[in-house]
Amino acid sequence: MKRLKLRFNPQKLRPQFQNNVRVLHGIRLKCVDGDIFSNHLQNLYFVTFCFHEVNCVLIVFSALCVACIFAWLTAMSKAAVKISADLLSNPLCEQDQAFLDSMTALDTAMRRMDAFNQEKVNQIQKTVVDPLKKYSSVFPSLNMAVKRREQTLQDYKRLQAKVEKYEEKEKTGPVMVKLHQAKEELRPVKDDFEAKNKQLLDEMPKFYQSRIDYFQPSFEALIRAQVVYFTEMYKIFSELTDQIDQAGLTDEQRERETEAKLSELRALSIVADD
Amino acid sequence: MEVPRRLSFPLVLPKPASSARSPLGAAGQTAGSSKDQTGGEEFISEEKTPESGVIVVVEAPPEDGKAARRFSSQDSFSEESSLSEERLEEEAREAQRRAEEEEAAAKEIAAQRQQLAIQELVESERSYLRLLHLSTVTIRSNLQQQLQPPPAGLDSMFLHIEEVIDVSSRLLSLLDQKQLQSGEPDFLQSLCDSFLSLSSEMEAAYKEYLAHYNHVTEVENSYKQKEALWNEVVRVIKAAAPDVNATSLSFFLVMPVQRIARYPLLLQTIQKHTDASHPAYALLEQTAHTSVALNCRINEYKRFREVADKYRKTEMLTIKDKIVRLNTHSIAKKTARLGQQIKHEAGLKPKLVDEEFDALEGFFYVLENGILELLENVEMYLQHLQGFLSCRTEDFDLDMDGEKAPICYKEITTALRQWILPMFEKRMRKLIHQPLCALRDLLVGPRNLIRKRLDKLLDYGVIEGKPNLSYEEQAVANTYRTLNTLLLTELPQFNGLALQMMWSTLGTFSCLHRDLAADMEQLFHSFAQQLPHSSLSPGAFWEWAESSVLEGARRLQHLCRMVEDKLNAPDSQPLSPSSQRRLKQLTDKHGSGKIFQVMSTVVGTRDLDLNLTKGELVAVISEADSRGDRRRWLVDAGGKRGYAAASKLIRYHQPTDDPPPSPHPSLTEDVTTRRRHSYSPAGNAPLPMSQPCFQVVGAYDFTARSKHEVSFRAGEPVRVLEPHDKRGSPEWSLVEVRGGQRGYVPSNYLAIMPVGAGLPPNPGFFL
Repeated sequence: MKRLKLRFNPQKLRPQFQNNVRVLHGIRLKCVDGDIFSNHLQNLYFVTFCFHEVNCVLIVFSALCVACIFAWLTAMSKAAVKISADLLSNPLCEQDQAFLDSMTALDTAMRRMDAFNQEKVNQIQKTVVDPLKKYSSVFPSLNMAVKRREQTLQDYKRLQAKVEKYEEKEKTGPVMVKLHQAKEELRPVKDDFEAKNKQLLDEMPKFYQSRIDYFQPSFEALIRAQVVYFTEMYKIFSELTDQIDQAGLTDEQRERETEAKLSELRALSIVADD
Repeated sequence: MEVPRRLSFPLVLPKPASSARSPLGAAGQTAGSSKDQTGGEEFISEEKTPESGVIVVVEAPPEDGKAARRFSSQDSFSEESSLSEERLEEEAREAQRRAEEEEAAAKEIAAQRQQLAIQELVESERSYLRLLHLSTVTIRSNLQQQLQPPPAGLDSMFLHIEEVIDVSSRLLSLLDQKQLQSGEPDFLQSLCDSFLSLSSEMEAAYKEYLAHYNHVTEVENSYKQKEALWNEVVRVIKAAAPDVNATSLSFFLVMPVQRIARYPLLLQTIQKHTDASHPAYALLEQTAHTSVALNCRINEYKRFREVADKYRKTEMLTIKDKIVRLNTHSIAKKTARLGQQIKHEAGLKPKLVDEEFDALEGFFYVLENGILELLENVEMYLQHLQGFLSCRTEDFDLDMDGEKAPICYKEITTALRQWILPMFEKRMRKLIHQPLCALRDLLVGPRNLIRKRLDKLLDYGVIEGKPNLSYEEQAVANTYRTLNTLLLTELPQFNGLALQMMWSTLGTFSCLHRDLAADMEQLFHSFAQQLPHSSLSPGAFWEWAESSVLEGARRLQHLCRMVEDKLNAPDSQPLSPSSQRRLKQLTDKHGSGKIFQVMSTVVGTRDLDLNLTKGELVAVISEADSRGDRRRWLVDAGGKRGYAAASKLIRYHQPTDDPPPSPHPSLTEDVTTRRRHSYSPAGNAPLPMSQPCFQVVGAYDFTARSKHEVSFRAGEPVRVLEPHDKRGSPEWSLVEVRGGQRGYVPSNYLAIMPVGAGLPPNPGFFL
């Protein structure tokens, strides 16, 4: 049996995103717990930074979902066309002119939708999906940078503790020598960490700020694209509805009609009515 | 239910008769006024003896009609023998006169009888209706109220009786409307008209009732099993209807069954007493025929229903049940069918083919497939929708408050999630999913019947050719024919209706999406107008969007590279003074090529192993231990000697000493000056970690001739990974071209150019 083939499947993406959230949450906890040298402001940055990565991704991803609905729709309608083609190929149906007409209408609608979809998908691909991909591709290297800072910090803390230990001891000759050595070792590590820390503190806000300008056109493009998209869809479906549906029925009328047909079917002796 | 075989009675017109007028009339009156069950069976017999002209008409009560008739005929013969010749003439005249009188009288009598029969029909209909009312209203409600709890299945006993009551009361009201007395000649006409006009409805009502009647008796029997309950039921019935001697529910409920069979009898009686010249005679005859045909059709329907009921259900049997059910008979039956099928498949025997049925069956299967597929897709669609709704994207705080577009987007998604999509989903479930599910459930019956028909066809195929059929074989043949006829008549209806339903579902589907698209369009449109670039024409807008997206990407890339360059630069730190001393000492002793650095702290576990700390420098004396194990190396750790795991050691590159051999000194120079002391995988040339000032590019086009080589075009930037091949020959270089492909190229195909000299930088190379 044929199944819907989807271009984007949020069901599949969701666990991936949830995992991202978990990983980032872990990083945040590490920042908060272990980072005695950084100030709170910086911590906050990391927190917001991490979560906004996820949020940005999710929000755009949600936009894609809306597009998905119609992608599924197309897939589903295609299945419908296939079913009707199967029906049509049956000799009992061949003579039915009304059926043929409806069938053609459905098919035409699908073709139009397909062509239009392709165009839209390309547009959205260029203005929304690609930037999004690019944006998320930055994260691994930034996370790497954060990790390296973390490593340097560990070294720094270790050497700092060593220096402190010698400083607390009695100032005998050998201790003084060792203290000197330890301080000598600490200095480059400390410089290194501070440089890295400063770098991150400089770059992270910039990066964080950049998302606003970065996604602004994407959002706008997305809304614009959907306006166009739904306008076209409305046209297609209006025509299709005019051709294959009894126009102007309310939901209650439809329900009643269905119920009537079902009870007609149930009245047949070949149908089990329990 | 038995249908009378007599389609019409031979009608004997009364001939001139002698006396017996008054007793006849009296008897007729009594017979007419008696409205008991046997009233319709009343016989009015006439006998005539043409030779003598003496006609004795005997009105006999129904019980002893035959005896009386015999007696009277004997009488007439004895009378005849005593007649004398001379009286004959007088007799003849007298006879003629009397005949005229008799004729008039007989006509009157016939009219009276006809009227009585008509009255009987009407009156019995009234009492029938009254009793039905009594049973459905009084007895039913009493049973429900007085028995606690009400007996199970009580409602199902009265399932189709309402329709029967309805059609019967309509028949009576049609008669009453005419305001005619039963004596008037028009009355018969109106009776027939009413009956004919209601006949189809009557058939529909009674056929359901009769098909259902088996169930009624079943339920009643189940009540009878429980004595206490049954006593209560009987008590209630007697209390509710004291005037009739009813002792069970079926006393009332069987009435429609009897009634429908009585219509033909009653009508035929009327017909018998109606003169052929009567204006309504033809109509009456037609009515009588109709009533008989009605009964036949109902019988047929009931039979179909029974067969269908028997076979359409899917039996839910466990394997155990199935084994218990196995017996020689069923095994023999199944084997015979299998054998028959094999014979058909092998072409040993011609198959019985019913083309009409096969076409119907094929269509049914296509339809079934279609319905299932559609349903599956609808379910999947709804599932996706649910997934989408569960994302709750509008809850994320974007922290983009100043910007119009994200805010708009957030509001849009809120609106979508809060009302548009939930409503859409609700409608979709109600108008599409539920009907499809119901339709799928209805497919079971026909499917089972079709399968069963095949089984029966195989059975039938065996006995088809035989001239004489035993009783059982007759039954088999009948079952097959019934099933086949049933399917042939009802499957087209089923297919048609199911197809209509499928189409209307698709129509509804389209309509729902039209509404959804309309809502969405409105929503998005209202927000789109608030956007800063809403005034741009579509073409200009997309140009703007694409260019600003590219611009954003460029900035992002720049930013990213900045971070990467500075932070992802390899771990580097100047050596501590003690390490520098050790390095000098080791270099002096062993040469710079032998110096390795310890990647992580190692604790010796075996004899002669060294304990080394991370970052410590050692010189490798031998790349194997004394037993030739290449995983343990003999190292010198500044005086101490011992073994260390080869995997923990990495070649130490000194900043200035010993640059790797390279055909491109300027490039290597560039790389090494930007690089400080570093770990780097042994054997690999160092990789430039940032955009160099010089760029190696292809000087000529080169096409790969094997998978070890890589193609590039003149002017394309490449990255040199190794300026020599595996054997160290500088004629070949290992390079990475755009797209990350690696391979060997001839070194003389490469050229070095300063960056910015007309060549575009390589965007995204590090992303």
